[in-house]
Amino acid sequence: MDDRDLVGRARRGDPEAFTQLMMQYQVPLYNMALRMVGGPDDAADIAQEAFTRAWQKIGSLRDAPFKSWLFQIAANLCYDHFRRGRRYGEMPDEETNKVIGLGIATPDPQERAEASERNRLVRESIEALEPDMRLAIILRDVNGMAYDEIAGVLRVPLGTVKSRIARARAQVQEHLQQYPDFFPSTREDAHAE
Amino acid sequence: MPSEPRVPTEPTLEDLSAYLDHELNDDATARVAEHVAGCADCRTRLDALRETAFAIRALPMETPTRTFTIPAKPRVSSNWAPVAGWIGGVAAAMLIIVVGVTHLPLHPAGMATSNSPVSGGLGQGAAAPYAAGAPYHQVAPLGQSAQNDSTLRAFSSNSKTVAGAQGSSSSLTISTDGASYSAAGVITIHVTTKGLSAAEASSVRIFLMRESGQGGYLVRLMPPSTAPTFPFDYQAAYSIHEMQLPAPVAGNYTLQVTIDTSDRSGLVAWLPLTITP
Repeated sequence: MDDRDLVGRARRGDPEAFTQLMMQYQVPLYNMALRMVGGPDDAADIAQEAFTRAWQKIGSLRDAPFKSWLFQIAANLCYDHFRRGRRYGEMPDEETNKVIGLGIATPDPQERAEASERNRLVRESIEALEPDMRLAIILRDVNGMAYDEIAGVLRVPLGTVKSRIARARAQVQEHLQQYPDFFPSTREDAHAE
Repeated sequence: MPSEPRVPTEPTLEDLSAYLDHELNDDATARVAEHVAGCADCRTRLDALRETAFAIRALPMETPTRTFTIPAKPRVSSNWAPVAGWIGGVAAAMLIIVVGVTHLPLHPAGMATSNSPVSGGLGQGAAAPYAAGAPYHQVAPLGQSAQNDSTLRAFSSNSKTVAGAQGSSSSLTISTDGASYSAAGVITIHVTTKGLSAAEASSVRIFLMRESGQGGYLVRLMPPSTAPTFPFDYQAAYSIHEMQLPAPVAGNYTLQVTIDTSDRSGLVAWLPLTITP
């Protein structure tokens, strides 16, 4: 069953349909919030509130795609989080967390430690971004959204999406290339012929 | 992208980044590709951007630290106007459902299990088994012998009938054998439909929902595997104890029956129920 059918049922007050939508989007939405605000508990609070608001307001959803609408709600909650003066949260040791999928299999303890440090540095570089750029690159590189989807979430023109993603990548690259032991290939001179 | 600006001889940072994402139009893509193929500097910039994107994409997808839930807040659409006085007319066709039970905690923090797997969905209880792929655990319906007493009870004391969308002849009636039950009691439900196809009738979903200031719970009542789907003919009888409702069990609940209709307007009916200690 696709989103449109589930949204139609949810709009009629069917909690099971909305639960299916929640199951479909809970991991990407949580991870978007997590990379935006840093702390797992804050991210879970934001995801929960986003689902609650979406459920309560789904009757007002007309032709807009549910996914963009849901992420837009969560994005606004992330902005509210910082407007309330909340700090970027700390991520606990990843080894203590359940992880759905690592990009690289790291059975060796040293490799695991290095992967953990790489991830910490990437998170640090994302944290350093101004929120508009941070959100754009998260939606692209964490959530894998297309530019037009991102434009729908952010309610900005495609050109703005393109610009924010590019500038965000450049800043992350600048941050990571300070650690050539972990990110040797982000240095432009590493690719020079 | 609808209308890319003309790519200059040397692509901008934005063009290289969008090129990585396959977000340039065909002409712009061709121009960037042609330029990069003959320009070592731009190739280097592109490779560095690509590695940066890969580093971000290599971040693990984390499991949410808790389950997510929704408040039990039934909402009535204008499409489902209650039909007063329908009960008697539909009584002859009244069908009774025997259901199994699933439940879904709706409270985000209090009932969430910190170690619940994401793939398992939302709000997993401890004891009852799950249906394959279902976000709820399920409790087997009471056996026929356990229902004998309840089948003899009256079902008109607590009823609600709703009609389908305007111009539709479909309707749905739910009734229970009471409005208040003890926590050790058995709830029996009748569900009646009119003007529905077998496919529509088989889409029935029954929930018992609870909402309080501290959050709520959702219990799904599943039809037994032997129940006929058409004509819609079920009896529902299930033990409140077997629902494994979180304490305090006593409180106000809402019984909801939902049916998908082919015109997508749907039928949803609610009834208030109270459970006492």
